[in-house]
Amino acid sequence: MSWFLRGVRRGVRTEKEPENNATWPSQLEVKGEFSGCPTRAIREGKWEPGKCVFCRRCEPNLVPTGNTVQPEVKTTNSLFRKSLHVFPVDVGSCGGCNVELKLLFSPQYDATRFGIFLVNTPRHADALLLMGVMVEGMEGPLREALDAMPEPKVVVLIGACAASGGVLGRPPEVNAHVVVPGCPPTPASIIQALRRLKGDV
Amino acid sequence: MRIVGQLGEKCLTTEGLMNSPCPQDEEGRPAKEYGSFTFSYGPLAGGPIESLALDVLTRGESVDWIDYVSSKNRKIPLAGLRVEDAILKVERINANFGAAHSIAFLIAVEKALEVEPDEKVVSSRIVELELERVRNHLLVLHRLLDAASLLVPAYTVLSAVEQVNRTIGRACGHRYFMGANFLGGTVCRFEPSMLVGWTFMKEMWKVLENRIFVDRLSGNGVIKDNSLIGPAARAAGMAFDARCDGGDLPYDGFRPVSMRDGDALSRLMVRMEEVESSIEMLSEMRTEPSSFIVPERTGEGIARVESPSGDLAYLVEVEGRMLRKVEVLPPSRANLRAFLSSSRGAIFTDIPFNWESFGIWVSELEVDLG
Repeated sequence: MSWFLRGVRRGVRTEKEPENNATWPSQLEVKGEFSGCPTRAIREGKWEPGKCVFCRRCEPNLVPTGNTVQPEVKTTNSLFRKSLHVFPVDVGSCGGCNVELKLLFSPQYDATRFGIFLVNTPRHADALLLMGVMVEGMEGPLREALDAMPEPKVVVLIGACAASGGVLGRPPEVNAHVVVPGCPPTPASIIQALRRLKGDV
Repeated sequence: MRIVGQLGEKCLTTEGLMNSPCPQDEEGRPAKEYGSFTFSYGPLAGGPIESLALDVLTRGESVDWIDYVSSKNRKIPLAGLRVEDAILKVERINANFGAAHSIAFLIAVEKALEVEPDEKVVSSRIVELELERVRNHLLVLHRLLDAASLLVPAYTVLSAVEQVNRTIGRACGHRYFMGANFLGGTVCRFEPSMLVGWTFMKEMWKVLENRIFVDRLSGNGVIKDNSLIGPAARAAGMAFDARCDGGDLPYDGFRPVSMRDGDALSRLMVRMEEVESSIEMLSEMRTEPSSFIVPERTGEGIARVESPSGDLAYLVEVEGRMLRKVEVLPPSRANLRAFLSSSRGAIFTDIPFNWESFGIWVSELEVDLG
């Protein structure tokens, strides 16, 4: 039997609204004062998702709602509406963001249906997607990748490490157009960010 | 007694820590010959899931010599931190082995503090490690199929990885176990009914009916020696497994699976057998959130668990709740040595299949805790 038919028989369906059944990371609701945040993501009663590593220490003062963490999208470019080609660069990640990015292309999420594709060279990329804290050995390769990209180009940061340094180091110094919080962000958060960047939603 | 690997300045064996470095055979790099040149791959060459840099000495197709080039070194100093703060960093050394790293670290701390963990916590740790093993082995299969451009089966396997991730998320609140383990307890709640719908293994075995795929793995990266660990050792006929040879978790009556050929195909088959045995084990286990009281003392502890890629060990020195020293022995170091050694003399197109078959994570390979 062909693999296509096997897939059909197994009944794995692409989900219209991606299922998010892990409590962490999810949007947090502030219910009380909390001062022991290891990344200072909570200050003066406000929660900054980009700094949060979702370590659960703030519970029950901050309560996970189960809703997808909202990305920060500063740019929308209709040039990318038909297709967005993404080149991922791991500048010092723990591997979590890398696997969640890979899972965007699992049948459950199927990011290609939204015209989102991974490419193997920055020369074919519209978006550079950065994961991890900035390590010395990756500074040169990151700069070369940015220079090699054609215009117009956008930079997407995924995960707390790239967004703020998280608990492990410092973030890459780049002008980011999209920031996806999470540690690691869920595939649902990443898809939402890339679709908003494309101007789909 | 077998040598597990270098832990700080000492050598860890199945009988304990030796006060000297582990003996190592260093192979000499051959001189360049007429027509040979060094091909540099990475760190941004696309393909691998992480940033990876390799130097290959070649005459065009043969791999005369291959070396790993460091590019992703992360400095994560842990000494001077409280255990509660250090665990946030430990579980982010390698997210894909988040359970293995945090559990080995916590067991080492508990030994240093001379405290016996609660039985329910121990049981939860075994469940977490087995869930993590299933996820990792399926991911390795996906990466091998992806390297062979067998995209439909590759995505079918990826759907199984997502299914396992969701089960982990439901059981422990986080898809990579972050925040699930803490000093003195766990928050995971698992029951066998969570495995309903885990029917993917029936299809996974069908990938071995594909002759093109099997040919890429059979005879590729053959290695058989006593320095191997984890699935690589078991694929070469050596039943080395911390689940039964002196590791720190009680896997009563556990018997590891093994193959004989020591090639990439055997490593894959060991992993697939292990997925089945882990699912069988999980189908009889149940856990719930649990905690126990941890005293404050000064001491040293070593712990070793079987991560999905082999032995993972921690050595810690604590004073009260403060860490004075932390050393880690990640499985990727031994697997990198085995990959390099088994790739020499192969051909260029063998490299991705051999690399993926060892399950190496650069994130833990390059981490510096000092």
